[in-house]
Parts: sequence; structure tokens; C-alpha cells
Amino acid sequence: MIEVRELEKRYHKLVAVAGISFKVDRGEVLGFLGPNGAGKTTTMRILTGALPATSGRVEVAGFNVFDRPLEVKRRVGYLPETPPLYNDLDTLGYLRFAGRIKGLRGRRLRAALQRSIDACGIGEVTGRLLGNLSKGFRQRVGLAQALLGEPEVLVLDEPTIGLDPNQIQEIRRLIHELAADRTVVLSTHILPEVVQICSRVVIIHRGRIVADDSLQNLTSDSRSLEQTFHDLTQQ
Amino acid sequence: MRNAIAIFLKEVRIYFTTPVAYVAFTVFTIVSSFLFLRLLGSFQRNVLLHTQRNPGLLKYMNFTDQVLGPLIHNIAVVLVFIVPFISMRLIAEERRSGSYELLMSNPVTPAQITFGKYLSALLVLATMMLLVLVYPLLVSAYAEVGHVAWETVLSGLLGLFLMGAAFVAIGLFFSAVTRSQIVAAALTFCTLLMLWMVGWAAVDNTGLTREVLNGLSAIEHIRNFTVGRLDLRDLVYYASWMVFGLFLTHRALEAQRWR
Ligand SMILES: Nc1ncnc2c1ncn2[C@@H]1O[C@H](COP(=O)(O)OP(=O)(O)OP(=O)(O)O)[C@@H](O)[C@H]1O
Ligand SMILES: [Mg+2]
Repeated sequence: MIEVRELEKRYHKLVAVAGISFKVDRGEVLGFLGPNGAGKTTTMRILTGALPATSGRVEVAGFNVFDRPLEVKRRVGYLPETPPLYNDLDTLGYLRFAGRIKGLRGRRLRAALQRSIDACGIGEVTGRLLGNLSKGFRQRVGLAQALLGEPEVLVLDEPTIGLDPNQIQEIRRLIHELAADRTVVLSTHILPEVVQICSRVVIIHRGRIVADDSLQNLTSDSRSLEQTFHDLTQQ
Repeated sequence: MRNAIAIFLKEVRIYFTTPVAYVAFTVFTIVSSFLFLRLLGSFQRNVLLHTQRNPGLLKYMNFTDQVLGPLIHNIAVVLVFIVPFISMRLIAEERRSGSYELLMSNPVTPAQITFGKYLSALLVLATMMLLVLVYPLLVSAYAEVGHVAWETVLSGLLGLFLMGAAFVAIGLFFSAVTRSQIVAAALTFCTLLMLWMVGWAAVDNTGLTREVLNGLSAIEHIRNFTVGRLDLRDLVYYASWMVFGLFLTHRALEAQRWR
């Protein structure tokens, strides 16, 4: 479903992503791990077409992100690192706008809005200005935006950050459910979350892949994911 | 097209839920009313003067040419100051706040962003034109002699709108090249100021230089409109700035996708 080959991204001189390759199949939940500044956000932004790469190839659902960006964007729901909200819009107005630019209209739009709002538990704040929402609710609205229209591919950059414990469980369950017939890539620093919902793990460190394996293999021989992560991302 | 409309509606909503549009309308109305009252005052003084000394001249006095025409000409200068304030947030603000990532990760093209945002600022501009319409309405409601030549007034407003639309296109471009609203406003203001002041430079010159400088001046091109003359050259002038501004905006947004 997603295929990344020799992807490189440089910000002027700084190499943020140094030629990484990996694949994600339909139905997989890929945990994208790495220390701060490893290049996770950068990679995810490139996957969704929000940021151009310096070199390399990315294919999503069979479309090249650089040649057919619109085809890719139509199929991907993306939650950026900071929720991309308009502080001067109310929650419902914002989600309606997001739905419209995803091509949803009329009854389909209303149904999609309702599903997203229920799934993320934001029914009580639909009338409030986004600028006045608490951090956790801002995160939920960002997530609701990514889920709109049930895209085939979900790219979630630290989706549960800032959420309360109840909501974290809700969202994890939701991602798990969604994963049945879709593809999810999510980054996180919460390793138990990975153990709970991911089927595969890619660890990157300083722009390079240091591990790409199933969760089972990484956590076999009685080593915890923490230890593995620690060993691979030292020096 | 549907995306452009969605963006347009969103922008209009933001303009009118934040103070931006209202502050622009308020400042605009205060300054224009001041200009209107001054022009009206001097018109009245002249009428009085002629009545006492030279009644024969009275038949040359008319509201449209001596109050409304100059008013529109003066308001053109007010737009130099107000348009940067309206246009600065259009794209810069989204890039700073991070909401731009929503547009970048959804099936929206730079052309749709450009048009949607441009049209929303034009709506604010058009509302200001309606505010200007209040003055001739007042005149025609209360004037005891004379009447308002509506064709001339409307042609003047059309000129004002076209000039504002050209200014907004320039402002949109500067808003697309920086994340800072202040920088966008400053660059726009500077450009518009130049477009106004080349008209002054024209006065100091003669011959071809003068023609060229006058031809460049945004404010000079409104003169014909205010006397009810629609000249193709003026239309082409404003249209060129609009197309140029939109083209550059589009290029800037397109280029950012590849950097
Ligand atoms: N716009 C930018 N300009 C310059 N450098 C950038 C830019 N964005 C990211 N970087 C750099 O690229 C590197 C990778 O950043 P990235 O945000 O992808 O890390 P990350 O893995 O998401 O980290 P975190 O866990 O802290 O979110 C960092 O060194 C960062 O400073
Ligand atoms: Mg990150």
C-alpha cells in the first residue's frame, strides 16, 4: 500500500532523512519510532505529499506522490504533529471545511462528520472556537479531521499525545478497528502503545532505519521493546 | 472549482468572525467620511462665494464632479493604506499557524488556494465600495438643488474596485512569500506607496518621461473613471496588475511545494 524507496530529505545542509526504504501492506499498523529529531515527522509529511523530498520515490496506493499528488492526497488522512486548526473557526465549521476539500458533499459529508465527531468524542465542543479548546480537544479535532471520509491510508503523527487516559484507550481501539481494511502509519514515543496496536515497527535514528521488523520479532527473546529501542538508538 | 469555493467561504467566515473586516470598515468609513465632509464643506463655501459675487458661475457647480469625483480619487489613496491590512493574513497566517498543512495534505491545488483567497478579499473590498455608496445616497436624499450623476458615480466606484482588486493581488503575493503578516503588510504597503508616488514624480518631469510615470501610477488611472470615462488603457492597467499578482502568487505556492 505504501512503498518508500531511497527517500532522502535535506533542509539546506542538514540531512533529516538519509535514504530510507520500507513497505507497508494493507491491513498493517506500522509503528514509526525513533528519538527526537530522528526524521519521523519529516518522513510522514513526505508520505502525505505535504512536503517534497530531496530524492527518492514514494508510492501510496499505487500512485507516485510526486507525480500524482492529488490521487495520493485523496486517499490519505493525515494528522500532522501540530493539529492544523484554524483558531478562528468553530469545531463544526472547521470539520465541514476539511470535509469539503476532501471532496465530501451533502449527505455523505454530514454522515462523515457525525462518524468522526462520535469516534473522537468531540460532540460537546462542536460549537466552540478552536482557539479556545484545550490541548487534548485540539488533538481530537485534528484526529477527527484525519478520519473524515474514512481514507484508505492513515498517517498519524503522535495521535494520542495530550489525550486523557480514557480517550487514549478509545483512540487506540479505534485505530485497531480501522486497521482491519486500511493501512495505518503512526509515530509515537509511547512504547506500550506500540505493543498494544502495532503489527510492525520501523525504528529510525538520525535519518536512517535501524530496525524494520514485526513486533513479535523485536520483542522476542525476552527483551522488551524499550531495551531494543535503547540499544538501537544509542551513540 | 468546488475547492476554491470552499476556501472562499472559509476565508470569508474568518474575515467576518475576527475583527479584521470590521476594523478595516471602521477605519475606512472614518477616513472617507472626513474626506467627504471636507470636500462638501469647500463645495458649500464655493457656492456661497459665487452666490454673493458671481451668480453666473453657479451653473458650473455640481456635486458629482466637485465632491464625489474628488472623493473617490482621495479614497483611492486610502486603499493604499488599508489593502495591506486586509491582505496580509491571507496566506502568511496559515503558514505560521500550521493550518497550511491541512491544505497541503488534501487534494487542493495552488490555483484553488489562490482564487479562493483572492475572492474572499475581493468580497471585503466590495463591501467597502458599498460603504462609499452611502455618500452619493446622502447627497441625493438631502440636496435641495442639483442631482447625483449616477453613471459617473458608479464608474468611479468601478475604478476604485478595480484598483483595490489590483492592490489585493499584490498583497496576496506578498502574503504568500513570508510567514510573517507584518512583513507581508510592509512589503505590500511599500509597493502600493511606490505605485502612488510615481504619480508625484511625473509632475516634475515633462514629455515622454512624464507620460511613462503617469502611466505607471495606480492613482492616475482612476482619474478617467471618476469623470465617467471608461478608457481601455485604465482597464488594461488594473487587469495587468491583477493577473501579474495572481500569477506570482500561484508560482510562489507552486514553488513551495517543491522546496
Ligand atoms: N523546516 C525545517 N527546517 C530545517 N530543519 C528541519 C525542519 N523540519 C525539521 N527539521 C530538522 O529535521 C530533523 C528531523 O526532524 P523531525 O521533525 O522529522 O523529527 P522527529 O523524528 O519527528 O522528532 P520528534 O520525535 O521530536 O517529533 C531535525 O533535526 C529537525 O531539526
Ligand atoms: Mg515529530
